[in-house]
Amino acid sequence: MTSLITLCGKELRDLSCNRSVRLLIAFLAVVVVLSVLVAAADFRTKTADYTSYLAALKASGGAVNAPPPDLFPLQMLRAGMEYLEIVGSLFAVILGYGLIAKEKNNGTLELLFTRPLGRHSFAAGKILAALVIWTAVTAALFAVITATLLIAGNAPLTGTDFIRLIIAAAHTTIYLTLWSLAALALAALTRSPATGLVLALVLWLVVVLVIPQIGDTMDPDNQIPGGLFASLQIDKAHEHAVMANFTGYETSRDLIEQTSLTKQYERPLFAWLGIKDQYNQQSPAFVWAGTFNHTLWLLAGFAAAAAAALLAGTRDKLLRKA
Amino acid sequence: MTDMAIETSALAKTYGSKQALEALSLEVPRGEIFGLLGHNGAGKTTTVNILTTLLPASSGTARIAGHDVTTGADRVRRSIGYLPENVHFYDNLTLTENLTFFARLSGVPDPAARIAAALEAVDFTGHGQEKMSTFSKGMRQRAGIAQAILHEPAVLFLDEPTSGLDPQGVAKLREIIISLNQSLGMTVFMNTHLLAEVTKTCTSIGILSSGRLIYQNSVAATLGAFPDQASLEDIYLHIEAGTPS
Repeated sequence: MTSLITLCGKELRDLSCNRSVRLLIAFLAVVVVLSVLVAAADFRTKTADYTSYLAALKASGGAVNAPPPDLFPLQMLRAGMEYLEIVGSLFAVILGYGLIAKEKNNGTLELLFTRPLGRHSFAAGKILAALVIWTAVTAALFAVITATLLIAGNAPLTGTDFIRLIIAAAHTTIYLTLWSLAALALAALTRSPATGLVLALVLWLVVVLVIPQIGDTMDPDNQIPGGLFASLQIDKAHEHAVMANFTGYETSRDLIEQTSLTKQYERPLFAWLGIKDQYNQQSPAFVWAGTFNHTLWLLAGFAAAAAAALLAGTRDKLLRKA
Repeated sequence: MTDMAIETSALAKTYGSKQALEALSLEVPRGEIFGLLGHNGAGKTTTVNILTTLLPASSGTARIAGHDVTTGADRVRRSIGYLPENVHFYDNLTLTENLTFFARLSGVPDPAARIAAALEAVDFTGHGQEKMSTFSKGMRQRAGIAQAILHEPAVLFLDEPTSGLDPQGVAKLREIIISLNQSLGMTVFMNTHLLAEVTKTCTSIGILSSGRLIYQNSVAATLGAFPDQASLEDIYLHIEAGTPS
């Protein structure tokens, strides 16, 4: 246990002092916050338009019964969450690769492995460090995002909204750590860490970009910009009635999408934040019932990546010559 | 407790079809400074890697300070210190930070006191706060020995410790090795190419040739057994020449 804490503590220190890591995380934070600021500006404009419209209506002596526009503050996070999903996971791959590559490239493994470390202590220390660093980064990012929503967006967040944000942050931590652990495992398994990085990037490309893109391309509603059904002026009820005739096709499309852990992250994330319309303003129980299977798949992916990292990061595997 | 610091029996290592080490049976008593000699590719580093638990043997047994390298690997690791040929530290950290890290991994109860003692033993006091990235090869070797003796091991393994050092560096390292052996009672096992150094440092030697141990004796007995040879280098070449590869 002492060696695990020592290894983890050193990793955290190295990561927090590493200029490249700080730069990548700062870049991620800036991109995410900028996206929220843009959405917040749009949100404020819409709110201001509505307020001035009401004032004008009152001034003209008309009946003030205009319904407020559907403005949901958490939906402002859509672009930011997509950055975390794509750019964040890419940075997580680089960070995970670095955890192993620096030891292999620097030649410090020999000194480490002549110490009385447990069989899995080395890998466990790295895994714990990746989890701690992503928990800290995600917590900080979501704190900044929330502050941006409150200050720049002037968004009225409720207690439930804060819970939704915490759940979204937890999903993000698991997702980003998962990518670091997958890259760590591949860098440990391959003789040359650079080969591991290439494999991790190929995996990232397939899981984060290719599979979700296939799913999106197969979605009938995505065939026309603005939506096929909207352009045909078909409402939601009729859209469901139409799609009921294509259940086999939709099931296949859904299965393809679900093979991507990115989708297993995105679906509960968008549901909890109300970005997905069917879950917007629904109770937490309703959202959980509709998305818990995705959360479990995400957790299963995390457990698999952690197990792979633990098994790959042993003395005999790491000491093979490059 | 056995009197042998290092014992191997029919130790062998193969890499695919290549036999790197062949039936190595070796005994090094406690308190010795043992020099393992041999040409490049003779199997010296393979031997050290097996004895330091970095590499599993293909067959045979090896015991360090009474502990089997396979079944008691963790106890072996507590009993040994190791200086690789090219020692690498974390260059972003200072020497003291590096040593603290390795001391904690070794379970040293009072790292600060042990680090001070280790630095004093290698005559390196005053360099603790310097970044490793600023160290020369000779300074790294001394820092490497300091990390190897932090937990006061019974056996110290040095892989080509004087390789790449200038004459002053070689002399200083020799002085440190002899001091560790005499004042702290550590058994030292070293691989080296520098035969002149072996005469000045080691108490006994072994010669490996193509993975086989072809000679083992004390340095004094070796020099006495070959009176017609001018130096240990000549003796080494004579013994090597008499062995079919």
